[in-house]
Amino acid sequence: MLTVYGRANSINVRKVLWMLDEVGEPFDRQDWGRGYRPTSEPDFMRLSIFGVVPIIDDGGFVLRESQTIVRYLANKHSRHDLYPADLKARAQTESWMDWASTDLYAAARPVFHAMIVNAKDPTTAVAPADGVADWAKHMKRLDQQLTNEGPFLMGAAFTIADIPAGMVVNRWFALKFDKPELPAVAGYYDRLAERRAFRTHGRNGTP
Amino acid sequence: MLTIWGRKTSINVQKVMWAVEELGLAHERIDAGGPFGKTDTADYGKLNPNRLVPVIDDKGFILWESNACARYLANTYGLGTLAPSGPEDRARCDQWMDWSITTLYPDVVPSLFVSFVRVTAADRDMAKVNAAAKRAGENLALLDAQLAGHDYILGNTLTMADIAVGTLLYRYNTMPIERPKLPNAEAYYQRLSARKAYQTHVMIDWQSMKIPGA
Repeated sequence: MLTVYGRANSINVRKVLWMLDEVGEPFDRQDWGRGYRPTSEPDFMRLSIFGVVPIIDDGGFVLRESQTIVRYLANKHSRHDLYPADLKARAQTESWMDWASTDLYAAARPVFHAMIVNAKDPTTAVAPADGVADWAKHMKRLDQQLTNEGPFLMGAAFTIADIPAGMVVNRWFALKFDKPELPAVAGYYDRLAERRAFRTHGRNGTP
Repeated sequence: MLTIWGRKTSINVQKVMWAVEELGLAHERIDAGGPFGKTDTADYGKLNPNRLVPVIDDKGFILWESNACARYLANTYGLGTLAPSGPEDRARCDQWMDWSITTLYPDVVPSLFVSFVRVTAADRDMAKVNAAAKRAGENLALLDAQLAGHDYILGNTLTMADIAVGTLLYRYNTMPIERPKLPNAEAYYQRLSARKAYQTHVMIDWQSMKIPGA
């Protein structure tokens, strides 16, 4: 059986768990990483010297990088509805995944770190204003895309393009700070929550 | 005809141009971004609402995000060469491409390169520079381990994994930072440097990009 290595509260592990549920693949999971067994332990290093979660072991095939794993699972299950076979649509799906994991995710990071990772008391932590402004700028870009081309990133239907962006959208709404109104993003968050896999691994109370 | 929008000094444009030349594709490149501007025009906003370079236009098909562009070109015009064909090799290739943008790039480009070209020497945060150089060196030790016993990341032929990772190595190796001794990674960088496409599109001197006092 496929095994996922990584704590279930990691945003990158959650992308993989979401996808496993979308394709209906049974799996085992082991907690590793911050707050659990350190990935520097020999048992983890034997599997991957990179020391980061998630990694998967699929019958001896070991893979790292959450979005690589998501695409691998789509290919493995021939889910062309989630990851188009047409090379052009496939590339556009990938460009949204890369955008969400680089520009959008990087913009979310300073706020998340100030309010959760580095906060002495997360219940009273305040979001840094410059961090919020930068994150909001990228969220507006997402709002614009969903308004013009939505309701999902690739148009009418949910695809794996929505997994990395969906995780950042959950973080946006799960953290408490003053936010600009982004109607298309708010609608998107609710639309994603119609999916059991997103409710279980994404919109589950964890930012 | 394939058109690539973006100045040749942009590392993300360099990645795409290197792939274009390895694939032998007829193309034209239009300078945009940095001193060339253009990215703030209404027409450019239609190509890429993010207003970044590169953008490719392949007979009317518009795409942005450099890894997605390189992967599209490799899958379309280089299946079995730059793009591996089996699902597992494809995933092995992808994990290095993703690693290059999520792990290696943030230290090499925004933390290190930007500090050396867009910050004056007087204002440069050397603690940040040194920390980023140390992390980059530690990450490249993982590349060094991967390269043991073969010439390129996935084996003995160049793939898009090499293009995504290798583009960052010219910047890394030409900045005034401390670098750990990594014999496999150094031999790999020399191997890439012997390729004409790498020389033409990646090994572009960046000293002229510095602001006064940098």
